[in-house]
Amino acid sequence: MKKDKQQNSRTSRREFIQKSMRLSMGIGLAAVGGLVAFRVHADDTVWQLDPFKCVACGRCADYCVMTPSAVKCVHAFDLCGYCDLCGGYLKPNANARSTAAENQLCPTSAIRRKFVEEPYFEYEIEEKLCIGCGICVEGCTAFGNGSLHLQVRHNVCVNCNECSIARVCPADAFQRVPTSQPYLIKGEWTKDQDKKKQSPTG
Amino acid sequence: MKKNPVHIILLLAILVGLAGFVYWFTTDPVKDLAVSVPGKDNRQKGNLIEEIIKIGEKFQLFGKASESSFVGTWPRFRGENFDNIVSEKQHLKDNWDAGEPEIKWSVELGEGHAGAAIYKGLVYVMDYDEESREDALRCFSLLDGKEIWRRSYGIHVKRNHGMSRTVPAVTDDYVVTIGPRCQVMCVDRKTGDYLWGIDMVKEYGSVIPQWYTAQCPLIDGNKVILAPAGSKLMIAVDLQTGEKIWECPNDLQYNMSHSSIMPMTLNGEKMYVYSANGGICGISASGDDEGTVRWYSNEWRFSVVAPSPLIFPDGRIFLTAGYGAGGMMIKVIPTGDSYQVDVLAEYKPKDGLACEQQTPVYYNGFVYGILPKDGGAYRNQLVCVSPDDVQKIRWTSGKVSRFGLGPYLIADGKMYILSDDGTLTMIKPDPNQYIQLAHKKLFDGHDAWAPLSISDGLLLLRDSKTMFCLDISE
Repeated sequence: MKKDKQQNSRTSRREFIQKSMRLSMGIGLAAVGGLVAFRVHADDTVWQLDPFKCVACGRCADYCVMTPSAVKCVHAFDLCGYCDLCGGYLKPNANARSTAAENQLCPTSAIRRKFVEEPYFEYEIEEKLCIGCGICVEGCTAFGNGSLHLQVRHNVCVNCNECSIARVCPADAFQRVPTSQPYLIKGEWTKDQDKKKQSPTG
Repeated sequence: MKKNPVHIILLLAILVGLAGFVYWFTTDPVKDLAVSVPGKDNRQKGNLIEEIIKIGEKFQLFGKASESSFVGTWPRFRGENFDNIVSEKQHLKDNWDAGEPEIKWSVELGEGHAGAAIYKGLVYVMDYDEESREDALRCFSLLDGKEIWRRSYGIHVKRNHGMSRTVPAVTDDYVVTIGPRCQVMCVDRKTGDYLWGIDMVKEYGSVIPQWYTAQCPLIDGNKVILAPAGSKLMIAVDLQTGEKIWECPNDLQYNMSHSSIMPMTLNGEKMYVYSANGGICGISASGDDEGTVRWYSNEWRFSVVAPSPLIFPDGRIFLTAGYGAGGMMIKVIPTGDSYQVDVLAEYKPKDGLACEQQTPVYYNGFVYGILPKDGGAYRNQLVCVSPDDVQKIRWTSGKVSRFGLGPYLIADGKMYILSDDGTLTMIKPDPNQYIQLAHKKLFDGHDAWAPLSISDGLLLLRDSKTMFCLDISE
């Protein structure tokens, strides 16, 4: 009899703990959900830079609180000319149009060049290596279509109250944009204002 | 047995040290780094199957030219005197009213930047037909834009910032063209009959420049002067028969650029000047040493050169190119039987006159040109300099008057500048200030880079797909 009572008592404690855990997890999830819902509210904003104002000065690499910078190069493939001689990939007057380090403009080799078919080459950004220096953007803008451009990547950006890059941006290119439309991507479809602000992966 | 804590700590330290050593020994900290060496892009050599190109194989006759009283000519790239100044007397309007300048006609062309040559009421354009995949010399009526005939040949040219980009050279009897992939063709000017052809890639191993060649042929008397820059640097061909007159070996190992051959006379000697990829040279154009290199300089050494050399009467030559090259002024100085080349100025594009695609214009003692996008604060602005100091900008068109890579030309004391987007600006080329006379958006254009041509008060211009004829006469 005593043994049964002890067993009942032990069961009841386990249930109590289980219920408590469920309750606390439920409260936790609700709190996180609420917090997320609050954070992604349409009225919330995040930092982004307007690629049409950007002058590729290089300050995004130096002034971001993140190391490396949360500003990365993105590529608008619908703008790109897929040239063999790419002003964003090759140094001016490079010895050869090849993937040799001495010919590459990017200081971290963050641009991958792939042969498509004669005479076309595709250029992809390896985001892990990109430091947001904008050297390729300057080259692409000066000699190409401007398809390489900089964007604040929100998976890296900590969304400071006062963006340290925005404070020093000489072109006043940084601005707050709605959290629901956090990117200002160049491309053919940016002519349509409704589609102008979309995720580069979207 | 009593455990000594010191021994335990020592043992742990040894274990941690061992683990650390094994980790250090077995871990490669640079294993994720990729070595940047040539060939990582998997670049492949061109087509394995050689394309059979039969230059001038096809002909289409569409009708007769409309009767007109046109007698003017714009017979080649940069005009009669190679200066981009219309030498024939024109009476052109000083300003444009609401409906002016009138677009008299327009025709669709293949995507490209090929400009037109004009000869006595006929317009000649070296086009590329994307549907039939043909280089096509098309002859239009200047009066109404109707196509009269077309001489073409099959060749595969892929879109690469346009396809066609050369201006034919025209005489009273002949038209000579260079196609995007370096095929030279000569036809009868009036009938379009095929006369002869040269494949510079096949015969001379020419390397087709990036985005296809923009070299325009030069007709000098009864000779056609070409720069294959392959096994031979420059050749002269009989205009009538296509027979080779002389071939200058390419000992300098220059490559073909987008620049065109310009004639030069210095110290009584006539020469052909070619700004190649690799350097600039002067080839004798007459005498016993005709077809030999008289002087050269490898100081001007860039991989993409589009503008042609701007030659001054005293032996100075202004050179410019895009992609960060900037500008250079050289002087060819006679020294006994030979020449020496001195570099007078060399600078980056933000430090003086520089142009990316178009050749500047030398007019009444001053040089006019549009700075490239990497031209610093004056980027895309028209500037005026003296040839005595090409780094000192006399004036600029200002922040509100920026242009693109488009062409400019002078006629009747006025300069016409076409922006990339189809906006035409008319200015008075004054060495002391920028004087804008008129400005008009003509059409929604894209990459309007082809050279302009003017004859009989009509201006021919184009964007990447359409050619327009404007009436700019009084």
